[in-house]
Amino acid sequence: MNTGLMTIRIILLFAIALTTAQSLCAQDLLGILEEEQQNGSSFVPPTFKLTRIAIGHSTEVRGKGILEVSAFNRFWNLPSDRSQSFIADRTSSRLALEYGISDRLTFGVGATSFDGLFDTHLKYRVIQRDKNGKGRPFSLTLFQNFRYNSSAFASSDLGRNFSDRTAFTSQILLSKKISKDFSFQISPTYIHRGESVFENDPNNFFSIGFAARYRLGSHFSLASEYYHTLNPVESIETFNPFAIGVNWELGDIMLQFMLTNAQSIVEDAFILNTRNNFNFRNPNLNFGFNATYVIHFKNRLKDK
Amino acid sequence: MMRVVLILLFTMASTLSIDNGEKIIARQGKVSFFSHTSVEDIKAENNQVFSIVDLEKGKVAVSMLMNAFIFEKALMREHFNESYIESDIYPKATFEGEIIGFDSAIKGEQTRIIKGIFTMHGVPKELEIKTRIENNVSGYVISGEFSTDVKDYDINIPPLLAGNIAKSITINFRFEYRPYDD
Repeated sequence: MNTGLMTIRIILLFAIALTTAQSLCAQDLLGILEEEQQNGSSFVPPTFKLTRIAIGHSTEVRGKGILEVSAFNRFWNLPSDRSQSFIADRTSSRLALEYGISDRLTFGVGATSFDGLFDTHLKYRVIQRDKNGKGRPFSLTLFQNFRYNSSAFASSDLGRNFSDRTAFTSQILLSKKISKDFSFQISPTYIHRGESVFENDPNNFFSIGFAARYRLGSHFSLASEYYHTLNPVESIETFNPFAIGVNWELGDIMLQFMLTNAQSIVEDAFILNTRNNFNFRNPNLNFGFNATYVIHFKNRLKDK
Repeated sequence: MMRVVLILLFTMASTLSIDNGEKIIARQGKVSFFSHTSVEDIKAENNQVFSIVDLEKGKVAVSMLMNAFIFEKALMREHFNESYIESDIYPKATFEGEIIGFDSAIKGEQTRIIKGIFTMHGVPKELEIKTRIENNVSGYVISGEFSTDVKDYDINIPPLLAGNIAKSITINFRFEYRPYDD
């Protein structure tokens, strides 16, 4: 009797096991698809959505056949108490075009109103971060800029030679997306300036930039940037540029609003020639507003 | 007693074998969606959609990776994934349903309603989709079109861009199936 009960128990246990197996088999078709659909698409979420973080370049490049039309503006007041100007005493604007020659290479030109700088750059993405951080955990982009100073110099001795008016900025941009909201960038920078106002000022400068973006919402992000120059200009007092602001990423229009102590917009000028510290005394703090309109010349659905 | 249990066991075992019915799978299904407003037309395509059909039960499942959608504008794909559909949190959209009145014996074409749950952006929604089912020499093809409202999926659209994105999105799909061996 006892053994009979035992067998029934075993059989029942077996029956339960069978029913679970059955439900597992009959279970979801979605489960089968889950197993089948192993490798995902090649899409990598952007580390920074804009090609600039705040004042400096990010590791992002726009891609082939995409033109960015940008206006970079800085507004600030003069130290005098009784300023007659409406809204801001001084404005500096840089108008720029950036075009994606390939998915990795971008070419850009720009002109700035306040300091009369004409600049051009090439930006090449060497490494793009892998999707899940496996393999290549960071992005690496090389940036090379050349600028020409068209403004009149105070001394007639200066600015006679073409090289006196030029500067080259080379950057290695390294970025890492730490979480889906937080991205960080380090930008070692080398600047060669043809002009040196005083004999004892160096022609070659080394700086390092730090930048970060934190996404506050689906279209908003907080961005901040700081450049530290290891061997600053000695003839005049300069400060390291700092910027903090928000980026608003709307469809084809991307806006950046920031507070910064940098008046210049071209790389070598704001890294080396920021003459104000970051505080609320005029003319130190600038309001910066960058607007970028993105035009796609390539239809990704048609020309594959 | 013993005999009853054994019979029960046997019937269960037999249902298990029946259950493992014939299935067909599509690995390169095409899904596209279209949004039309006076401001802007938005179109995106995904050619890597997976779908499976249990022919005996008339059950169907679809799974698509949201980041595999390709847009006319490259930047739109970034916005879509990062700001709208949040593909890092919700990588897939899925559908699981039943073909009402499906008969695998019918050769040629039949139009059937597929009823099931469509989950996108983590929000499930019951849908009834009119589909065309073809049973050709090369296999089954299921295709159709349906519309769904963006607001049902808890997708955050900034008021400034509300005019650029249609309230109702049209979705087209086409799956070509091959036999599936477990």
